[in-house]
Amino acid sequence: MAEKPSFQKEVMNLMHVMDGNPIEACIQCGTCSGSCPAVEYMDYSPRQIIALIRADKKDEVLSSDTIWCCSSCYYCTVRCPQNIKITEMMYALKRYCIWKHKHKSGVIGPDFSRKFVKIVVKTGKSYEPGLAPTFIFKYGVRGVIDNMIMGISLLQKKRMAIMPKTVKRIANFRRVLNRIIPIGVEQ
Amino acid sequence: MDAKKILMIDDDPDFVDAVKRILEKAGYVVEAAYSPQEGYRALDANVYDLVLLDCMMGRGAEGIIVARKLRKKKELSNLPVLMITGIRDQTGFFFVGDPKDETFLPVDGFMEKPVEPEALLQEVSRLLQSRKTNESKKGE
Repeated sequence: MAEKPSFQKEVMNLMHVMDGNPIEACIQCGTCSGSCPAVEYMDYSPRQIIALIRADKKDEVLSSDTIWCCSSCYYCTVRCPQNIKITEMMYALKRYCIWKHKHKSGVIGPDFSRKFVKIVVKTGKSYEPGLAPTFIFKYGVRGVIDNMIMGISLLQKKRMAIMPKTVKRIANFRRVLNRIIPIGVEQ
Repeated sequence: MDAKKILMIDDDPDFVDAVKRILEKAGYVVEAAYSPQEGYRALDANVYDLVLLDCMMGRGAEGIIVARKLRKKKELSNLPVLMITGIRDQTGFFFVGDPKDETFLPVDGFMEKPVEPEALLQEVSRLLQSRKTNESKKGE
């Protein structure tokens, strides 16, 4: 019988398609942290996150905002001398946090992801004004005004629709989704 | 009579511990696999009476792929599968209507997390009973 997995093993299970992503091969050189353009906004650097995973510090990793600050530029992945797919690891941790509802309170990422999925499932495409409420209020009145100004100029240039549009043959698109995730059949 | 052997495939060790405790107290033998790969290995190596399957594992809804693979394998096609998932809550795929699509999700039972211990035991014994009935029908 399988032994209860460590946190490192859990993360590796989330990334088994890339052979578990060799997290255990990390030499803590810090190239990922040195390359990261978003490191100054993170509470733990990517190097520290890998060290925490290996030390089985699950709560610290899941409650950090590092994974939500990752902008998926893939620079760490490209430069890692041990070929660790760090960005994929960040995605795996995001998935894990959302599934288990264990993310830090106040971060925008999880709500944004959920809202995005809901809109795409409903209309087949992204609708930016629908996503805006998940983050604009976080930046106060100034943030709302800035986003409104940007929204108006996007509308003027027809880069954004007032009402959400759906893709053609939305029923077919939903059938495709239903084949992938066959839970909850829309009536 | 031998205790019924159940395999649980779920990537959440805490949930596995909780369910294992409930089932073991009711007299079942429970083995755990923490990833689909471990699950396949266990199914190849041992014979089970029931599989409890999680949905969201690995890169996405891999539990569904596991369920489809089990149905395709001749020797495992009669093995009852109970899917226990929190997928609606976890993914935001809030489709209204029936909880599952019979065509694309070949499982015998379906429960949404969090599960009530009594409801779980009831469902497990129902599935084991139905397997017994099927086998005795085959024998006749």
